[in-house]
Amino acid sequence: MDAWWMCEVPYPHVPQSVLDATDSVRASLPNRWCDPRIAADLFEQAIDHYLLCDDMGLNIVATEHHAGINSLLGANPMLVSILARQTRKARILSLGTLVSLRREPVRIAEEYATADVISRGRLELGFVKSGGSEMASANANPVNNIERYWEAIDLIEKALTHQDGPFSWEGKHFTHRHVNIWPRPWQERFRMWAATGDPHTAAEVGRRGMVHTLVLRGHDGTKRAYAAYRKARVEAGLPPVSTDNFAYSAFISVGDTDEEGQRVGEKLLWFLNTSLKSAPQYAQLLPGTAPPHIAGQAWRTRPKPQSSGPNLVNAEKGVATAQENAMKLVSMTVEQAMAQGLLFAGNPDSVYAQIKKFHDDVGGFGHLNMLGRTGFVTHAESEKNIRLFGKEVLPRLKEIAPAMPALEAAA
Amino acid sequence: MTETLAPPADRLRVRDVDLEIVRRGRGRTLLFLHGFHPLNPDARFLERLSREAAVLAPSHPGFGASSRPEDFETVYDLVHLYSELIDGLRDDKVTLVGASFGGWLAAEIAALRPHQLDRLVLVDALGLKLGDRETQDILDIFNTHPDTVRRESWHDPDRDAPDFDAMSDEALTRHARDWEALSLYGWEPYMYNPRLKRWLGRIALPTLVLWGASDGVVAPDYGRRYAALIPGARFALVDGAGHHPEREQPDALADHILDFLDR
Repeated sequence: MDAWWMCEVPYPHVPQSVLDATDSVRASLPNRWCDPRIAADLFEQAIDHYLLCDDMGLNIVATEHHAGINSLLGANPMLVSILARQTRKARILSLGTLVSLRREPVRIAEEYATADVISRGRLELGFVKSGGSEMASANANPVNNIERYWEAIDLIEKALTHQDGPFSWEGKHFTHRHVNIWPRPWQERFRMWAATGDPHTAAEVGRRGMVHTLVLRGHDGTKRAYAAYRKARVEAGLPPVSTDNFAYSAFISVGDTDEEGQRVGEKLLWFLNTSLKSAPQYAQLLPGTAPPHIAGQAWRTRPKPQSSGPNLVNAEKGVATAQENAMKLVSMTVEQAMAQGLLFAGNPDSVYAQIKKFHDDVGGFGHLNMLGRTGFVTHAESEKNIRLFGKEVLPRLKEIAPAMPALEAAA
Repeated sequence: MTETLAPPADRLRVRDVDLEIVRRGRGRTLLFLHGFHPLNPDARFLERLSREAAVLAPSHPGFGASSRPEDFETVYDLVHLYSELIDGLRDDKVTLVGASFGGWLAAEIAALRPHQLDRLVLVDALGLKLGDRETQDILDIFNTHPDTVRRESWHDPDRDAPDFDAMSDEALTRHARDWEALSLYGWEPYMYNPRLKRWLGRIALPTLVLWGASDGVVAPDYGRRYAALIPGARFALVDGAGHHPEREQPDALADHILDFLDR
């Protein structure tokens, strides 16, 4: 198993009274609450953490989120380019530029090719569907978001692999009549990743053979999404894949003792209990994010009386909307987060045992994305976490080899 | 979607689009194009109009129980669809009434095919960019808190705004379907066609522009400027109504329209 460090560079330094008074900590919170001097310190620390990971044998992940306290990484390619130059060994996963928000996929391909060349072939490409408040931040139509997502990926992939002079793209959402990027990327082919918990998208991720990443989805959601991936491959007549095609992202906090690991781990839950607050127009009322028979229920201001029929949200078995998922996460405690596999925390032995158990329970994965810093976790605590994980936990995880699970286990 | 509205809702097929449509009344043909949501078949406004006209009120593709083919997703598609629907009526002239989003469609159709219409009525119509680039003419109903949208949409929200908690599952499903289709058609540019203003001068037919006096989604002054761009158009306010006079003041709105049709 490989391990990857991921930090979204959150900005927790907004007065709690402001956060309590606002209806959304994303999209609409005025940026006067973001002090660029504090932001500069946060970026400097985050980049130092990435460099430490490079030394400790961890790979690294850069994500993208827009206009909120949850993340200052609105411009993912900027961070990727710095990491491409400043690190030496680590694989660098861009997870990713949010392609359905950008108007020019060819420009994204140029950014990726440039970073790949600067890093001499260490770039990996990840794609995230985006949604919620980012539709407002990017002026992006939420209804056909998924169509843009796949079309942009197709165009980026072709731009990165086509070497025979200009080609033309006249798609539904993107047109570009003369595509011929320089430099061409260092790598002939990229390993591509996608993050989604939605089984419909997971099936397409499976058919394409991308690395399927689940973020904070716990046992059941993760198993279900992995199963959708494998099932789609079987149905399409494609060969089975090993656990190397699966990844899981969770909060991880390693301390000298269980007490220390869990105490710092509790700070990571800031991401769930503070940074997810989102006004209804950016969340459950956003058009097109759930089928109408489910989306309609979101307009109720009170729970539907039990007597008037089944709960349609739960009746759509297996499909939790992103918003539904978020609501479950907001009030999570350390104990709950650990029980559900969202947080692995404790001394190195405990953390290894928790990861191994979760890994075995969900059918295995080849990549662990470590969410090791959010909220008010300090610079020093983050460095200690990376060092302890890299020294004490990672060598044991490396011994878990990719495996081909039996089909009945996957189903 | 298989459910249909209660009678007298009907179906009408235009090419590959299966439209839910309300037909009621006799006389001159009046095509009503709805705003953010279709009206119910028993809506007071349609009933009043139907006393003096053969009213046709389709639900736009993707709204209510009308189908929407997968590649049907622009105002361009809607304008062609309704042009074809008008061709198929075999009336010499049709009276066209459009409200809000449907008013935008009506203005587009009137600019394209004025010779097929005898009267045009726009009610709190969208479709134009009139203010400067940093002033939004039309309230962003998708990116604004629903409480604000509610307050700005109705003259008397407590009396007239929909009560979602009292709605059936079917009604809520229709509501969500409308919301999704509206976003698809109107997200960007938000609820207007930057080219339409240039062509409104082609609308050489009697035109009445009516506006809810309390409309906070798109203000009456926008309506006055809209009317001024259409040769000879008259403008009038409907008191006691916000963005949806056909729901808040159906009788007063119908009186205005029927009076205009009699001239």
